[in-house]
Amino acid sequence: MEIIIIIAQLILFIVIAPLLSGLVSKLKNNIRMRKGQSIFQPYYNLIKLFSKEEVVSETASWIFKAAPFVVFSAMLTAATLIPVFIASPLHRMGDFLALIFIFALGRFFMALAALDTGSSFGGMGASREMFISSLVEPAFCLVVFSIFLQFGSTDISVFGAAHPVSVCSIVAAFALFMITLAETSRIPVDNQETHLELTMVHEAMALEYSGRSLALIELSAHIKQMILFFLIAQLVFPVNFCGFWILWYSARIMVIVIAVALVEVSVAKMRLFRVADFLGFAFVLAMIAVVCAVLGV
Amino acid sequence: MGGPEIIAEIKNKIPDFVPLAVLQNYPDEINIKVSPQVFKDTCLALHKILFSAVAALFALDERKERGCFEINSIFVDFKNSRWITVSMDIPQENPGFDSLAKSMYSASLFEREIWEMFGIQPKGHPDLRGLRLHNEVWAKENYPLRKDFRKMQSGNLSDYKFSRVEGDGIFEVPVGPVHAGIIGPGHFRFSVAGEPIINLELRLGFAHRGVEKLFEDKLYYDAVGLSECVCGDSSFAHSLAFTHAIEKISGTSIPMQAVYLRGVFLELERMYNHVNGIGGIATDVGFSFPAAYASIIKEAILQLNARLTGNRYLKKVNTIGGVLADIDETKKQVLLGSIKHLKRDFNELVKILYSSVSFMDRVDTTGVLRRKTAEDLGVVGLIGRASGIPADLRKYFSGIYKEAGFKMASQESGDVLARLRVRISEFQESCRLIEEFAARLNKVEKSRVEPELKAGSALGYAEGWRGPVLYWVKADPAGLIQRCKIVDPSFLNWQGLAYAVLGNIIPDFPLCNKSFDLSYAGNDL
Repeated sequence: MEIIIIIAQLILFIVIAPLLSGLVSKLKNNIRMRKGQSIFQPYYNLIKLFSKEEVVSETASWIFKAAPFVVFSAMLTAATLIPVFIASPLHRMGDFLALIFIFALGRFFMALAALDTGSSFGGMGASREMFISSLVEPAFCLVVFSIFLQFGSTDISVFGAAHPVSVCSIVAAFALFMITLAETSRIPVDNQETHLELTMVHEAMALEYSGRSLALIELSAHIKQMILFFLIAQLVFPVNFCGFWILWYSARIMVIVIAVALVEVSVAKMRLFRVADFLGFAFVLAMIAVVCAVLGV
Repeated sequence: MGGPEIIAEIKNKIPDFVPLAVLQNYPDEINIKVSPQVFKDTCLALHKILFSAVAALFALDERKERGCFEINSIFVDFKNSRWITVSMDIPQENPGFDSLAKSMYSASLFEREIWEMFGIQPKGHPDLRGLRLHNEVWAKENYPLRKDFRKMQSGNLSDYKFSRVEGDGIFEVPVGPVHAGIIGPGHFRFSVAGEPIINLELRLGFAHRGVEKLFEDKLYYDAVGLSECVCGDSSFAHSLAFTHAIEKISGTSIPMQAVYLRGVFLELERMYNHVNGIGGIATDVGFSFPAAYASIIKEAILQLNARLTGNRYLKKVNTIGGVLADIDETKKQVLLGSIKHLKRDFNELVKILYSSVSFMDRVDTTGVLRRKTAEDLGVVGLIGRASGIPADLRKYFSGIYKEAGFKMASQESGDVLARLRVRISEFQESCRLIEEFAARLNKVEKSRVEPELKAGSALGYAEGWRGPVLYWVKADPAGLIQRCKIVDPSFLNWQGLAYAVLGNIIPDFPLCNKSFDLSYAGNDL
């Protein structure tokens, strides 16, 4: 029984994740008075990339070829930890903290692969990604601690049940929202839409990839985004996983999609080193969440 | 008038100065002919007297006619609204002259160009690498602007040597000439210590089409279309500068109707490019809402251009002796109505930008080009005005702008914000100017006269949106062009970019680059 649920959950993540990116992009374009691409465009891109031949640099080693698979499996593993149909299907395997380090594993391999080809953009992207992640991870950890203090366990399944929304959850959700912007390479930290190779962070690491490998990397990014959206949703709009949940599930994710789109069109991207201030603020918010949890509000 | 008094001033600097000849063919041009021995000193003296960087320095192949090469060096005298040309003849055997580059940096690129195109050696020039003809594919000792050049002969090929910065933790980042976005081809070689840029070396010339050679032996009329294609986003300014030169040579006086119409079109070109540049700055900092708004305004101006002239980019509008597209009463109403809307939309755009903290944080103090650096490099136009150089041909050389009470934009700080502010105030000023010009349009007067063909040479100029566009044209009695030297403002301003980015971080380079918004085609010719 459990295995069926796990498979169902993986399929759900793979199938729905690109749609969220499509929705954000469509919304952004509509706000900018543009028609925008179809919300299914990310699917078309993936189909196109999966059917394309791959070009691999002559100087690349096995790491370059292996990295997309590592990243993809890391994201799938992370997806199984999230409570969707039932309380976290693989909660015996790992808790909330594991999630952070599964993300880190994917990122580590992406950075290695970016350095592997020896292109200057890959190196720049990898160094920037590491700089940003060194700021993201402490804040993420603090968010987890605040949840841990609130629920008495780092087990995600506990957090998956319906719970009253506290001040702590709301503050933690804001911190997590800022972390999500950084983790999904969105404005003000990074810019997914840019064509300027010198300003890229995440995109610069993926510049050397093509075909199936690129498709896997993109799909991983979509899945990561969906995981983070789910976590924020569960913090501020908690729901029990049984009962009539599909509408409610979609509605709360939509709220986050709208919020992300609004932020992305209403601010400019920050100077690279100013990102430290932004994520520092996320860290402080997470700290406040911890304090709230201790105080029990 | 004017002539002797400038000679007296030069004599103050060089006591034994004797010019071979002083000519004044046009009210706004003085030509001082000197011997090769005093050429350098005369140029340096004028450089000091006029506070002018060299505006153009170029050679002519006169071997068939007079058995020599001629070198001309043009300086601008804003105070008296005129151009001063110093020229000399140098013998055709083993040609060379004393380099000015070490005493006057702005001559440096022009001298490299002369060396590359004519094989005339600037003696003592510290850097004679190729500018446009890349020696990986173009054999040395092929000088395409010499008259006897037909096609490239095989010869030595060699690699280009970039200047190297060495030291612990210094990395080289080569970018281009193929870029991820749809922009022109240019190679940028950064030396970085982490993210901060220690040195930037530009290598351009990938879009070299041999434009100056293409002008040779063309008829006046055929060449107007060619001048429009030199730099696509300034096609009107280029054709205006070219037709101006031809009109000076042929002694054609332009009907006032045409003068005002040209003013209107020149400002329309400025407007669509400025709003495009503002949108580009917003795009490059990832601020997509105003970027989209700016593109809407740009499109409205392009559509207005099309409605007035039949061409969105104002090509096939200008001609020798006037303009082809007249603005009648109905079109005038369309124009004035559109300007009103554009003003309102533009002010809205400016409000969005200025009220965004995240945007202002990105542009403020980014990519500073100091005034002293800008002056030494000979930076012109919009970029110069943002760094505090008060130079605008419209203010000093044009009657209709004086009449309309033209106010020159000026900023001191020289950063991206200053360049943005200059664009904004120029856009607003252009709206006002167009209204002024439109009010003076005359229903009955013709917008064009027929010119006569004459031999001669003259300098034509126009203040395009980037800065002054210069065309020095020499024609023979049959109306065939012998030599056409083009100076696009991009040529001098690219050097400014290389200095403005120093100390900035690599991810800010695209922003600095966009705030300069220079042309590859205009530079590469």
